[in-house]
Order: sequence, then structure tokens, then C-alpha cells
Amino acid sequence: MIKKFIHQFASPKTFISKVDTYYNFIFYSALLIYVLSIIWGILFTPEDFVQGNSFRIIYLHVPASFLSQSLYLAMGICSITFLIWRVKLAAYLIVAIAPIGAMATFIALISGSIWGIPTWGTWWQWDARITSTLILFIMYLGLISLHSSFSNYEKADKLLSWLVIVGAINIPIIKKSVDWWSTLHQSASITLTDKPTIDPVMLYPLIGTVIGFFGLIICLVLLSSKNQILIREKNKSWVKDYV
Amino acid sequence: MFNFAFNSFNEAIYMNGHGVFVWSVLIIVILTLYIFFISYIFKIKKIKKKLNESN
Amino acid sequence: MNPIRKKRVYNILTVLLFSVSGIALILFSLNSKLDYFFTPTELMNKTFPIDKRIKLGGMVLNGSVKRASSNISFIVTDYTNRINVEYEGILPDLFKEDSGVVVLGYLNNQTVYAEEVLAKHDENYMPPNIEVINDN
Repeated sequence: MIKKFIHQFASPKTFISKVDTYYNFIFYSALLIYVLSIIWGILFTPEDFVQGNSFRIIYLHVPASFLSQSLYLAMGICSITFLIWRVKLAAYLIVAIAPIGAMATFIALISGSIWGIPTWGTWWQWDARITSTLILFIMYLGLISLHSSFSNYEKADKLLSWLVIVGAINIPIIKKSVDWWSTLHQSASITLTDKPTIDPVMLYPLIGTVIGFFGLIICLVLLSSKNQILIREKNKSWVKDYV
Repeated sequence: MFNFAFNSFNEAIYMNGHGVFVWSVLIIVILTLYIFFISYIFKIKKIKKKLNESN
Repeated sequence: MNPIRKKRVYNILTVLLFSVSGIALILFSLNSKLDYFFTPTELMNKTFPIDKRIKLGGMVLNGSVKRASSNISFIVTDYTNRINVEYEGILPDLFKEDSGVVVLGYLNNQTVYAEEVLAKHDENYMPPNIEVINDN
């Protein structure tokens, strides 16, 4: 039964029709949540007792940093699925997610740099957290250019999946860098085990921006996968019926 | 929890000197998201058109 | 699971095992080199060439900040040892007594002559009035 389910869902044709059905709903609800939470965070939250108003960049920085790592994990899951079950859709998804991951990492780096100017007094330092995030960004770019340099899709997909799996080691390193080494970056405010060290009035809009940004990124991934499927399956008869 | 954090509109823009950082990050985020959405929508349109022509 | 898939799973696990242990070895051998700064205690137990740029991190000792025209001197502490810092230049807004600081400069006679002073803040975020309520 699971096999049948995977088989059905993993058919690019079903995937695209599902995307077309739910896309608008996901997009507009995510946009609404994101915009409202951003307004709430930037204009209707008290300033921080140390950082003053510059702390408001947290509402833009944290969702992007969170997603930059989550998207890599999503690529990792797709890679494993592709390597074990040879599900084609999984391979398309890896290629589709990579540019979106690079975008999220780019936002995380830029917003972090700008946030660093008024708080730390510097926009760039080679501490473990910042450097490992830069490595993540370069890895995304490398994976994208590697895949596009192949003319043989089948080989490119396999090599890409292996590299994604090997590179996944960087994710726990980014996550734990602030605990393993001394860094300029502060340690995590929100963890699974402890009470958040951010006040609830500041935490609620932050959760809102993370959910909203997550939804918008899902939409980008859906668009990007649709694009990828149409490119890769352009010779299939169902695509000809679809367009 | 939902009180406006500033005394005036100008104060909200200025943010005690931190406004320039907060607002520039916001603009960068909005622009990046916008460019990505538009470019993917455009790409899908282009490939659909191409496939239609080859049919 | 059929034998081919089983083999693929083992392949993935092998690759993961080797790459994780490879990276782990590299990280362990580099370990302290990946630290962004030295604490005062670490700095006292080491000797550096006078022209080696080092980074010192810790807390600004309460009451230690002294300003003389554009020169600023303060003491960085990790609550065990103390290091003097001499600096001439602009301090970041978040530089305060009893809060985190990272100093980039050169060590000479237990004193760091700083080229740059950065503020390090912690992971606590709260509105200003809450602190006042706690104090009362």
C-alpha cells in the first residue's frame, strides 16, 4: 500500500496537478501570515533592552537562516529517496530546491551582515557560525553549477545526490558551531530542550514570520519543481496534454 | 502586545538611527523574494509556450 | 526490502560513515583553532609573537572603563583572569561594562593593544521595562 501511495504521489503528473490545485491557497495564506507578522514584529513589538530597534532584523534573519538549513535537509531526504528507490520526482526536487536554498542562505548572510554593523560593530568576521553558513551558500552554488554542467541528466542526478548526502554534514556543524567553539554569534535563543530566551511578546511574531516565510518558500519550491518537471519531461505525452 | 512601538511615523522610520539597517534588510528580502517569484512564473510561461509551439 | 535496495542503503551508510568520520577527524584536530577568540585564561597560558594579531573575548569588568581624551582602557575578564586592553577609536553602541566584548589586537606585557573592539551580545531578548520590573 505504501508502495502504491509513493508510486502515485511520485508521478510528476499527479504532482503537477496537486500543485495547481493547492498553490493559490498556500501562497495567499503564507503571504498574509508573513506580511502581518513582519508588520507586528517591526512596528508593534517593544524594542530590545540591549540592542534597541536593531533587534527587529531578527524577524527577517531567523526565518531565512532556519529555511537555509531546512531546505538542505529536504534535499538530503530527496537524495536518499532517489538513490534507494530511483524515484525520478525526488531527483527533480533536488535540482529544484537548490536555487531556493541558495536564496535563503543569501538572505541569511546579508541580513546577518547588516545586523552586525549596529550591534557587533562589524559586518563580517570569520567565526565558526558565519563561516559555516558561507560554506553552505557556496555548496548550494556548487551543486547548481555542477548539475547544469552535465548534458547527461541521469549521471548528473546520481552525482548530485551523492554530493548532497556528503555535504549534509555541514548542517549539524552550522547548528552546533555556536556551542562547540567560541564565536561572535550568540547561541540559539530557541531550542527544543530549553525555554526560549526571547520574551513571548517578541517570540510570537517571530514564530509567525517563520511560518509565513516557510509557506512562501514552499511556493517557490513548487514553482521551481514545476519548471523542472516541464523541462525534464517535455517529451512525455502527458506534458503535451497538460500544456 | 499590539501597541505601536513608536511615538510618530517619523520615529518609526528613523528607529533611533537603526532604521536604515532594519528597512534596508526588509527591502532586500522583499526584492529577493519578488525577483524569484517573478522569474519562476516567467520561466514556466516560457517553457509552456515553447512546448505548445512544438506540438 | 529487495536485495538491490538493501545494497543501496548500505552504500549510503558507508559513504556517510566515512565522510562523517573524515570531517570529525579534521574538526577534532583543528578544534581550538576554530575558536573565534581566546579567553583571558587561555591568553595568559600562551605566548605569542608580538606581531601576531590575536582576538580576546570576555566580559568588560564593571568599573574598569577609563577614558582619557580619545584613549580608552578597560579590563576584559572571564571571572578567573583579567587582561588589560588599550584602545583608540570608535566603540560599538553595544559596548558596555558587564557585557560581552571581543578585542582584536596585539598582546604585549599582559596588555592587549587593540586595533578593533567588537561587542558580543547574548541570546536573551526582552523589552526594556521587564528588566525594571525585575529590579524592583
